Amino acid sequence: MATHHPEFESDVQPRDQGASSPFAPHTGAEVAAMLDAVGAESVDDLFDIPESVTFDGEFDVDAKTEFEVVSEIEDLLGQNADAVEFLGRGHYSHYVPSVVDYLSLRSEFLTSYTQYQPETSQGFLQALFEFQSMLVDLTGLDVANCSMYDAATALGEAATLAARVRETNGETVLVPDVLREGKRSVLENYADGAGLTVESYPTVDGNADLDGLADAADEDVVMVYAESPTSRGTIEEGLSAIADLAHDHEATFCLGSDPVALALLEEPASVGADVVVGDASVLGLPASHGMGLGLFAVKDDYLRQVPGRLVGTSEDAEGRRAYTLTLQTREQHIRKERATSNICTNQAWVALRTAIHVASLGATGLADLANDCVDLASEAAARLDSVAGVTAPVHDRHHFREFVARTDEPAAEVVDGLAERGYLVHEVGDHEIQVCVTDMNRGELDGLVAALREVVA
Amino acid sequence: MNYRQARWERETDDGETVAEPLLSEKGTETVTHEASSLPDDLTRDELTLPELSEPEVAGHYTRLSQMTYSIEHGPYPLGSCTMKYNPKFTEDVAAIDDGAIHPDRPDEFAQGTLELLYGLQAFLADVGGMDEVTLQPPAGAAGEFTGLQVAKAYHRANGEHEQRREVVVPASAHGTNFATAALAGYDVVEFPAGEDGRVNVEALEDAVGDATAALMLTNPNTIGLFERDIEEIADLVHDAGGLLYYDGANLNALLGRARPGDMGFDIMHYNVHKTFASPHGGGGPGAGPIGVVDDLAAFLPDPHVRETDDGEYELYEPENSFGKVHGFHGNWLVLLKTYAYISRLGDSGLKDTSAMAVLNANYLASQLDLEIPYGPFHHEFVASAGDTDAAEFAKGMLDEGVHPPTTKWPAIVDEALMTEPTEALSKDQLDLLADAFAAAGQKSDEELAAAPETTAAARIDQTSAARNPRLSWRDLEVADD
Amino acid sequence: MSFDIPDDLYYTESHEWLAESDGTVRIGISDFAQDELGDIVFVELPAEGDDLDVGDAFATVESIKAVSDVYAPISGTVTAANDALLDAPEAINEDPYGDGWLLELDGDLTDDLLDADDYAAQIE
Repeated sequence: MATHHPEFESDVQPRDQGASSPFAPHTGAEVAAMLDAVGAESVDDLFDIPESVTFDGEFDVDAKTEFEVVSEIEDLLGQNADAVEFLGRGHYSHYVPSVVDYLSLRSEFLTSYTQYQPETSQGFLQALFEFQSMLVDLTGLDVANCSMYDAATALGEAATLAARVRETNGETVLVPDVLREGKRSVLENYADGAGLTVESYPTVDGNADLDGLADAADEDVVMVYAESPTSRGTIEEGLSAIADLAHDHEATFCLGSDPVALALLEEPASVGADVVVGDASVLGLPASHGMGLGLFAVKDDYLRQVPGRLVGTSEDAEGRRAYTLTLQTREQHIRKERATSNICTNQAWVALRTAIHVASLGATGLADLANDCVDLASEAAARLDSVAGVTAPVHDRHHFREFVARTDEPAAEVVDGLAERGYLVHEVGDHEIQVCVTDMNRGELDGLVAALREVVA
Repeated sequence: MNYRQARWERETDDGETVAEPLLSEKGTETVTHEASSLPDDLTRDELTLPELSEPEVAGHYTRLSQMTYSIEHGPYPLGSCTMKYNPKFTEDVAAIDDGAIHPDRPDEFAQGTLELLYGLQAFLADVGGMDEVTLQPPAGAAGEFTGLQVAKAYHRANGEHEQRREVVVPASAHGTNFATAALAGYDVVEFPAGEDGRVNVEALEDAVGDATAALMLTNPNTIGLFERDIEEIADLVHDAGGLLYYDGANLNALLGRARPGDMGFDIMHYNVHKTFASPHGGGGPGAGPIGVVDDLAAFLPDPHVRETDDGEYELYEPENSFGKVHGFHGNWLVLLKTYAYISRLGDSGLKDTSAMAVLNANYLASQLDLEIPYGPFHHEFVASAGDTDAAEFAKGMLDEGVHPPTTKWPAIVDEALMTEPTEALSKDQLDLLADAFAAAGQKSDEELAAAPETTAAARIDQTSAARNPRLSWRDLEVADD
Repeated sequence: MSFDIPDDLYYTESHEWLAESDGTVRIGISDFAQDELGDIVFVELPAEGDDLDVGDAFATVESIKAVSDVYAPISGTVTAANDALLDAPEAINEDPYGDGWLLELDGDLTDDLLDADDYAAQIE
């Protein structure tokens, strides 16, 4: 990278004695005037750091021009090998309309803080209120907060909530045995502090084995967790039965899903879900190396135990509708060690993006997208099934976005062979691969099938 | 300064006066799923959501944006929040298409991403004087939780977990410290500050002992003072077998001048959305990487990035990892902006950042006619609103075209106005901010009670919001019925 | 600022009041306490039949920006809780010694309670 931006010739000390950071506006004359006002000889005199802990080393990072930094990072990220991703398992990508970027990147949204002064933050508050409202519509539950970090941390928070709301003690959280390992690990860490342990119940063809679950459920269970779609891409068929089992043991039923699936699949409230968690950034964010947006909705009974921020409406002094953060006594800045969670900074800006995306799609667009997720998975499975040596889908279920395929060859070899040809899929068993198809990669399906034919030939 | 925030007014169909109707009040559609290829019993009966054209959506959010005060409108001096300018180019960097990858890509398909993350790990370790850094925690509080999980795993490995049940926290600590300790299953032991506003070492001696898992501190502390006894404090905690945790909320004061690792801290988190200028986004996302000393590196979250002998980069699970705190790798887009910011500034810019942040705080304080009981402070100070309620004082400042400081915290100062201008304010902006403090200070209680008058909403009734929670548009419809 | 401190009640240093009639002790928080808290927006109360020991935190009273525990000044079994507060917590602000009562205990008054004069002196 030899190109130098002309601006760089002036070096990094643009103003005599002034700030050398491009993001500190001080001229030399201003620094001098400010020091005079303070009564200090130099800026160094303002620091009260004992000599013994003063750092006088260097980090050996050279300042660069904006052009150099952008070029460097473009080059660096360009080293990510070109590949077509058919990857899912908890992180999904749908096309994000341009309007989402243009609106969310307005500096009013991007550079404001948490709305602790609501009178001057009405716009963002209304946007978050609308986000909460969309999740209420999608889940059928009464209350949704304005974000957790991601699906896994939202699940962890659900477990601690379940322990708090249960009138009798219990120590077990039940999850499906096919739950993604990383999500389970996060849950276990949240559970650990609350004295809970996480145990598995069996599944059949991706979905809950209701008999197995009945055997696993006892009076020690504080929460039963199920997903739809599951981590194997199947649509859960026994949600009401799972809810009944949980409730028979005074346990909370927590359902994991996402806003696209919720637009089509059974409404959580109607099947008896008490809490819904999941990743809402399937709308609003492109593939982001796993960055997400934790969805968290509950029935009204649990309102006082909700973690994180809530926006509500009120009136201003002139009688107009107004928005404000509310029920803040649940939160760490007031309730400290008795708070419902330690969360402070959340994912508000991602929630804004998700809301804009939902608003852009509308009910019709969102329902269409959800139906595409069913039809694409089904079509793609049929295409893979047509390849000799591949059976798809493995599970005799309805699927959403993704499915598991059986390969006669060892899955590791198939996955590597596909990768060599520029197609990435998951290896999920000795002879099982998992394939995720959305509007973003459907055009590459022919290529995937052709590559698969070569690999398994 | 004369200021008017955008303010619209119109009536809804129900006769309610609103600034901007809700999306749901502009138009909805109810869809059913008869045509779905799924069987009926697997689909919901119907779905009702807003249904608007793109021009309507664009207009809606543009108007909402104009009713939202931001860093680029003017001063936003929230103490402990470090609301500094967010460089535009970092958004371009975040939009680079090659970075938009799935978290489960095999390492050989993600070399660029992994190299960048590795570089950021190394840089943050250097800045903090730490040996290893994980980038997984998605926010500062998540960093605290990660740090305490590391401490817990360490004590477990030493067979001392059952004995070490307490986390020690100064009374003036951020609420997250208390809440995080509780989330991690610890009992919280609080100790009071000394008369000079710093840690009272004698009080700390009483609080620390065989049951101590960790002490959580920030430095400079909440009122901007450097904990001059930090080495003695570190010895005290270490002698008791505990670990010392650094809350990175105030790191902006020390960039390039002092490092938590050199002060004896074992674990620290970095609030990159504060110190390293990634935007706050109306409350998040942030990122809260943590750094640890060598002895704790094996306990860090899974996965971690390392360089191989071949100069490649790979993910691996640290030997005694306690597991994960985020489903994948944390808030990638935020970390990417952090890397870009650091690369742009370099050593000279980073040192300059702490210098100008501390100069700005001191200059602003010198221009105020308010008592500032504790000093010498660094990047922030806590002034007292005196006989005036600090929250009311803040409402008075809103009408002067600035955002007020953090109010009523910490409790060590009566009617606290906790003020952090950051390095990004010019002298002109600081003078405007000082004028706003002065103007608010001259307002009578009645005038303050009537404030703000220039914002999109007048004073909002918090009591009604909490007594009668209306948390979705569905709640508003029910109220109308 | 002066606060209402009825002469016929007993008080505690932590600002609870007590009134005895027919072996039942009614408990609430004082006018001073409700004023310190500000507008009360939410109350959590114990259930009938709960046994309380002296010093137990038996209720929480929340304003917008603060949460306060209310401590049992005496021991006893809860015979009634003022469930009307769950929907109308403002009664504590408006009528702390009347409609704003919190609960009734089957218990006995103790010697260490403050009378109105002592309590008035304490909050001065």
